[in-house]
Amino acid sequence: MAEVLVVDDSRVMREMIVACLRSLPGAVFTQAASGLEAIERLSLKRFDLVLLDLNMPDIGGVEVVEFVRAQDTLRALPVMVVTTRGDEASRERVMAAGATRFMTKPFTPEALAAEVRGLLGEGAGAGR
Amino acid sequence: MTEGLAGFLAAYTAEAEEHLAAADAQALLIDASLRKGESNARAVRELFRALHTLKGLSAMVGVEPVVAVTHRMETALRAADRAGGRLSLPTLETLLRGLQTVASQVRALADGRDAPEAPRGLLDALAALEADVARADDAEVRLDLDPAVARSLAPFEVQEIARGARAGRRAVRVDFVPSRERAEAGQTITTARERVGRVGDIVKVVPLSVAATERAPGGIAFALVLLTSASDEAVAEAAWAEPASVRVVAAPRAAEPEVNATRGDEPEVASLDVGRRDAVRVDRARVDAVLDALAPVFASRARVSAEVTSLRAAGGDTRAIAAALSDDARRLRELRAAVLRLRMVPLAEVLGRVNLVVRGLQRSSGKLVRLEVDAGDAECDKVVADQVFPAVVHVVRNAVDHGVETPEERRRAGKPEEATLRVVGRQRSSAEVEVTVSDDGRGVDAAAVASRAGEPAPADDEALLAMLCRAGLSTRASASAVSGRGMGMDIARRVVEGLGGALSMRTEAGAGTSFTMRLPTTLSVVDVFTFECGAQRFAAPLSAVDEVIEADAPVRGPSLGAGAAVAMVERGGAMIPMVDLEAALGMGDGRGARRKAMVLRRGGEALAFAVDRVLGLQEVVVRPLTDPLLRVRGVSGAADLGDGRPTLVLDLAALREAVGGGAA
Amino acid sequence: MSELYVVFRVGEAEYALSAREVARLEPCEGVTPVPGGPKHLAGVAQVRGRFIPVIDLRVRFGLDPAPTGPDTRLVVGTVGARTVALRVDRARETVRLSEGDVAAPPRMIAERTLGYVRGVARVAGRALLVMDLPTVVGEEGV
Repeated sequence: MAEVLVVDDSRVMREMIVACLRSLPGAVFTQAASGLEAIERLSLKRFDLVLLDLNMPDIGGVEVVEFVRAQDTLRALPVMVVTTRGDEASRERVMAAGATRFMTKPFTPEALAAEVRGLLGEGAGAGR
Repeated sequence: MTEGLAGFLAAYTAEAEEHLAAADAQALLIDASLRKGESNARAVRELFRALHTLKGLSAMVGVEPVVAVTHRMETALRAADRAGGRLSLPTLETLLRGLQTVASQVRALADGRDAPEAPRGLLDALAALEADVARADDAEVRLDLDPAVARSLAPFEVQEIARGARAGRRAVRVDFVPSRERAEAGQTITTARERVGRVGDIVKVVPLSVAATERAPGGIAFALVLLTSASDEAVAEAAWAEPASVRVVAAPRAAEPEVNATRGDEPEVASLDVGRRDAVRVDRARVDAVLDALAPVFASRARVSAEVTSLRAAGGDTRAIAAALSDDARRLRELRAAVLRLRMVPLAEVLGRVNLVVRGLQRSSGKLVRLEVDAGDAECDKVVADQVFPAVVHVVRNAVDHGVETPEERRRAGKPEEATLRVVGRQRSSAEVEVTVSDDGRGVDAAAVASRAGEPAPADDEALLAMLCRAGLSTRASASAVSGRGMGMDIARRVVEGLGGALSMRTEAGAGTSFTMRLPTTLSVVDVFTFECGAQRFAAPLSAVDEVIEADAPVRGPSLGAGAAVAMVERGGAMIPMVDLEAALGMGDGRGARRKAMVLRRGGEALAFAVDRVLGLQEVVVRPLTDPLLRVRGVSGAADLGDGRPTLVLDLAALREAVGGGAA
Repeated sequence: MSELYVVFRVGEAEYALSAREVARLEPCEGVTPVPGGPKHLAGVAQVRGRFIPVIDLRVRFGLDPAPTGPDTRLVVGTVGARTVALRVDRARETVRLSEGDVAAPPRMIAERTLGYVRGVARVAGRALLVMDLPTVVGEEGV
């Protein structure tokens, strides 16, 4: 069973992401509506994958990745940044900060599911 | 639309409207700052964020016309954000036009049409926006902060702390430490942030790594930096922290006279989100929880009354108990009224937002309009206020676009070039508020309206309004970019009637038009008809039903798409269409013979819904069905009539639409 | 560490739901059908003064609906801020399971049950399917 944290300040976007991934067997989704909430949840429970928006209130995705990578327990956590086109400049920053993958909205459900399947597979192989 | 995501369109329009409302509010704040000669970096960033989120969402569901506008606005705002939040009034005006265009695009989608492309001129104007790059002065401020926290503050946030300190507030830091136990008790960074936001203005929340201990099992803490006038105890309590842990980051300095002067103008803007002095802010969910707890008491009271009646019928002496019961009833009603008052908001808060709309309209229409808003002390339920605002906007758009003449026309007519638009809110009684939008424009040309509708001239203002509300009808020969082809009035009327209110109009050629919306102050207590149809019992608001007629001799009519048959029934000498209620709800085939029919009130052609039996009329507490699974078309809520089981309260107007659209 | 589970039957299968996710068990009474909802929505019921949706688990799991009998129960569960009732064929016992008792579902079970089942527990020769409430309810609560 894979624990996936979906972080986006748009409720509709979170639900779309979950809908795209519902076919993944055994995946369990938790949602967070802000970067702060994401950090809180990550500190309290083990997750196998984070899908992260860049633009959010209080602290954005780049800061979340920077913070996550500075935590010993979260250093190896796969983080896929899912964000709107036009943020290509941010891509450099967030990849430099240590994001695992980068995906641009709009995406198709198939593309997202394929990426996530790949990341979960890798994580499982490397971690156990 | 991306395949598989089509089902999200309704959710999209709802959320898009939220982002637009947030963007409007930020634009208002920027405007207020600019008029004081200040920049507002935070509001610029928030406006940027709202548009960015909206753009991403729109791209996801494939609404390209919205993407085209929001993308350009976002680019301009990104530049302004990088320049420390500086932008000019003309830039803001152009951005406002962009916001209005997006609003109309989203509205079109909500109405089931395609989002129209934005005018080329607007797109070019947005693309050409060069945000002013004058940087905010980097005044030195010394902050007593942990380097880890200080590093995370942007220059504008440091500025904000300095400004707050100058204005006499303290900047403090309080830490929230999350844990699993706390999360289970509802104490999360999200709730902590909300609570702390009520005792001050949060400048920044910074996540920090700390040693993992029993107290901080996650190895993290959040530092909340805020400007506040509250005590350490109040701040600590809000963050579930020890008062001793609240640290002062920057102390207030003597307020400068100049700052005092500008503070005088603030309440107007501040009241938008800060609320009134001496007010306690309560989460609406908590108030609703009290109402929820109260509703079953009403229901059980109805049961007790029934018992007393049968006791009396059996010869028992029930005078004392009946007196006590009626005492109880009165107190209970008072208690309920008191709780409902907790949800009241000043109408002024809602109507104040019209300002922004009118300013944008002036620019795009080239008309001169002076706006007077007066809402006095009128109050209504938050839900009513939020829902009626779009209707007010439609009516205002309509007034500026159709009612008000161009400055030359006005001069020729011997009027001042600047038109006056009055928006007045008034408390008619504890149960009713009234909003009137009146202009001194040209009045509605009844003959022109009738000729466009291909109908004889209306007899009075009421008939004229009905004609105006027919979707798609505009009195202007050319399609208007501003009001979107006169679509506004039918929407406004639907909103007002959906709330159980009424829309009326008075117009005089050459002298002006006024629209009046009468609205209930609250939605929660409603007189309903109860009736049976099929095996089920339903309720419908009395305000939605014109009359109940006999339906024994219907004439069968044609079949609708999903099998709901339309019949004809006689009412007051005329034949009106009748639809089987069960079939309209999609619960039966509608072939059963019904005995009664409820005739729908107001708005358009008369329509009867056939039912089996009318049970009576009663006052009930209608509660909305909030769970996503229960949000279905045609059902506005549910009530407990005393038997413990939910009785669905129907939204007959929505059902009519469903039937009329062929999608029964 | 062991945890309490509520055991209930839907069709021929036995399911378990963590007691932390269960608010109460109620007899299946007073469910008002709601038109226009999804197929598995049995209706709306009032529980402790709140109107909550009732999901027919038989329909949710692809079985034919069954009439309400003396054993039919509503398992009232909470997902985030939402409270939702599950209509089940029978719910009579609770069991205590430790982490070691619950295994990940075999791939075939996981795929066939579309994520509704997050584990399988063996108790005294019986197989209990540990249900994933958020997935069953749909629209994951925050």
